[in-house]
Amino acid sequence: MIEQLTRRLVLSAPAALWAGAAFAQQKEPFRFGALMPTTGPEAGYGLDFVKTYEMAVKDINDKGGVAGRPLEMIVLDTQAKPELAISGANKLIDVDKVAVVITAWSSVVKAVAPIANRTSVLELNMGANSPDIAHLGDYVYTVFPLAEVDVTALAKYTREKLGKSRAAVLYINNDTGIGGAKIYRDVFTAAGGQIVAFEAYDPKATDFTGVLLKARVGNPDVVHIHGLSELPQVIAQMRQLGMPQQITSYSAGYNPKLLAQLGAAAEGLIVTSLAPTAGTNPNVAKLLDLWKQVGRAPNGLPYLQYAWDSTVVVADLFAWVDKNKLPVTGENMRKALLEIKTFDLPMTGKLVVTNDHRVDKPVYLYVVKNGQFTLLDTIA
Amino acid sequence: MDYLASAGVLIGIYIILAAGYNLIIGYGGLNTIAHPIFFALGAYTTALLAIGTGLPPVICIAAGIGVAVIASVFLAVTTLRISGDYLLIASLGFQLGLLQAINNLDFTGGPSGLSNIPVTLSGPARGWLYLMITAALALLVIWLVHRGMSGPFGRAVRAMRDDDVACAALGRGLFTMKVVIFAFGCGTAGLAGGMYAYYFQYISPEQFNVAQSATILTMVVLGGIGTIWGPVLGAFVLVALPQVITFLQLPSSLVGPLQGLIFTSLVILFLFLRPHGLVGTRTPGAAH
Amino acid sequence: MTDPVILLQILWTGIAMSSYFVLFTVAFALTLKVEKLWNFAQAGLMGIAFYTMFWSLNAAHWPTWAGIVASVLLTIGVTIGMEIWAIDVLRRRHSSGLIFFIFTLIFSQFVAFLLTLLFGTEPETIFPSVMSPVRIVSGIAVSDWDLQAVGLTAALLIALYLLIRFTRDGQFMLAVADNEKLSEIYGISARRAYILSGVISALLIVAGIWLYGTRAGVTPDVPVDLILTAVIATLIGGLGRVFSAGMVAVGLALLQSFSILFIASKWQGLLLYGILFFALLVFPRGIPAWRPRRIQPAPKPAAPVQAEG
Repeated sequence: MIEQLTRRLVLSAPAALWAGAAFAQQKEPFRFGALMPTTGPEAGYGLDFVKTYEMAVKDINDKGGVAGRPLEMIVLDTQAKPELAISGANKLIDVDKVAVVITAWSSVVKAVAPIANRTSVLELNMGANSPDIAHLGDYVYTVFPLAEVDVTALAKYTREKLGKSRAAVLYINNDTGIGGAKIYRDVFTAAGGQIVAFEAYDPKATDFTGVLLKARVGNPDVVHIHGLSELPQVIAQMRQLGMPQQITSYSAGYNPKLLAQLGAAAEGLIVTSLAPTAGTNPNVAKLLDLWKQVGRAPNGLPYLQYAWDSTVVVADLFAWVDKNKLPVTGENMRKALLEIKTFDLPMTGKLVVTNDHRVDKPVYLYVVKNGQFTLLDTIA
Repeated sequence: MDYLASAGVLIGIYIILAAGYNLIIGYGGLNTIAHPIFFALGAYTTALLAIGTGLPPVICIAAGIGVAVIASVFLAVTTLRISGDYLLIASLGFQLGLLQAINNLDFTGGPSGLSNIPVTLSGPARGWLYLMITAALALLVIWLVHRGMSGPFGRAVRAMRDDDVACAALGRGLFTMKVVIFAFGCGTAGLAGGMYAYYFQYISPEQFNVAQSATILTMVVLGGIGTIWGPVLGAFVLVALPQVITFLQLPSSLVGPLQGLIFTSLVILFLFLRPHGLVGTRTPGAAH
Repeated sequence: MTDPVILLQILWTGIAMSSYFVLFTVAFALTLKVEKLWNFAQAGLMGIAFYTMFWSLNAAHWPTWAGIVASVLLTIGVTIGMEIWAIDVLRRRHSSGLIFFIFTLIFSQFVAFLLTLLFGTEPETIFPSVMSPVRIVSGIAVSDWDLQAVGLTAALLIALYLLIRFTRDGQFMLAVADNEKLSEIYGISARRAYILSGVISALLIVAGIWLYGTRAGVTPDVPVDLILTAVIATLIGGLGRVFSAGMVAVGLALLQSFSILFIASKWQGLLLYGILFFALLVFPRGIPAWRPRRIQPAPKPAAPVQAEG
């Protein structure tokens, strides 16, 4: 009798699993929206974000989903443009009826904010770092550290640990550059340093001689460049003008392509990163393996780690709402976020969401040594 | 559904933009590319007044229109005395220069743009109310263009467009006509800007650049230059079609550039095979 | 900042960096002069030229000279094709200036979308490295790239000058530029002149984008910005005055570079447009100081306001 039971159990176990999986598939999925640039100038990053979300969603669903229900993502293209973001957000909220939307790129986050607040849908920023994001309203939160986190750490480190006292700050004249440069300036001066040059350059500029010479005249001992894709050109021209000073940049500088473009000129460059590497976190190695199957290196690995983890956050929110038997609404998702507060995330570690709509994370400083990014310090 | 209302409002705004632009290039024969800057002037004026003073929306939007008109008169008067080609380049320089200025100034919000534009209408019917207002304004603009272009003034304008040397010989105030048309067309762009600012509650400089110029131009060409309903059709097609495509769930990496390729190819094809656009009819002796 | 070494550095680097703008400007101005066409399609040609070189060298791993040749051939091919199958068609239909303008602008947009589809939107340079060997001459950094830029631009402009001045085709181009109908009566083929000016412009564009792309990152949207400076320089230099436009391009680049001494760098871009407006108001026919010899046609007498509309 027992043997028969056992056999039936053993035989039915895979069937039960299969039935369970099928049952999970038939169950109403937990849906969330993602507004990402899958076309346009930012698509290089946007598409990789989306791919990583897909990997994370699959990973969660393979493990049984959220409370037995599958997790489903709906992605809409924004081209990183406000107009498309607005129509995308409206579609996700009105037609697809999602309760949470993940966004990135400052202008998109800001454009969607009034809609999120008006319709009480939770908007989670996952990649933009403009400090303004902390002030966009009740329903806009970030799971990604805003600019002040890594720039503050870098400025303090440069002043206190490296002992630099005269900083020249060069920055791209856009949202990211202006915000980041101001933070650097404020923190560096508060720590007792002096800003000897503070110059913006046009996003479309190709000749940085003028700003570099202005910086040189101030006789700095460190040059902080808050730029984006033109960063290699600024550094190249700086070295070619014979300026040997220490150069620092923020997380946009943590890019292997930059090393290829600069070669020896990149030596000594210090950049920040907001995510641990595969060396310190085995889950990251798993992510890299998944990307190996895609067949190429991903763009902006630290951001992708946050992308994966934002999916986990969303899953945790759904789980909390489900556990507390509440309807899935933006209001309840927001409640979940503030109640759970501390998330243990696989790719980036602990995340604490605070009431002031910010998150604090450790900052990793990397220096270029022998053509490679090497960990310099970790600032908790 | 708010989604449909939102799309409808956007279509309405683009109808106003396309109709005004069509008046300038289709009826007036003036080559310009800078229509979005007047859209921007209307939007920014309205937004800044709304945020800073709390004046009623009608006043703010009227101010937006006023600023757009004044700027357009300045541009027209300085360049049209030389030639139409100069208007083209000057207007482009004006657009890009002003956008640079907006980007660099603090009070315009710089590159981050202006968010937190105050709410005017709220509640569940917000979208539909806005839609009705925008639709009414779009119809008003079209009606005004139609009335303006059907009477004697319209005939003079068409004569000017088709052969302005002969027209000048007849003693018509060519210069004044051009300035009036340009000012009216740009004024409507200012109106569209005001509506846009209030509905979407967020504006930034990047929304008013050369890509936007090309979009409005495409709407007018596909719809039919120099026709009344052409801009309406063009606006509808260019706003609605991409939205429809998102429902088809094609791989997203293809959709964006593919849409752009489709629309630009259509424009080029239309220029050669159907220069009168979707709505227009071949008119013997027309300059186009 | 008024140290002579600094000023000389800004001057030298400014001149070197103006090289590609000079080439784009001369290309644009030449087409305008000969064909009376504001050829915004040249932005599309810049994109085609760049990405052909980029693909040849980085994806197909061809030697550098092969990549350049491929780019030259393809850009010239597209230019000639556009001339024969598009511009000429519109010309024969007596299409208005507006139609030409729409076609050339939309063509560039079409090319930008196509290139986005094929190559994505990450900024790319022709070579993986943007560094260039540098030597210090009297305190001024002079890089190999600088020398190449100045040398190449000077050589091409001299060649163009010689072509226009001393060859039959060059003279025919001027004749067509001056009066197409009269030239045809004398048996000069306008079409041949148009194609020749298109080919020359294409070559200048390939050279210009080579210089640009070996130093700065290019995306499919970049050419539209590049052509704007060319257009402004052409306007200020005086319509119909090709070398004058080229000199204005250098002047504008230097003005922008030196403006750093007086204004914050973020206002440099605006300066260009300010100059444009100033020039339009004060020198509507181009800067009068550059009154050239008879290489270029005599300026037209003041026309009635709307005659060129």
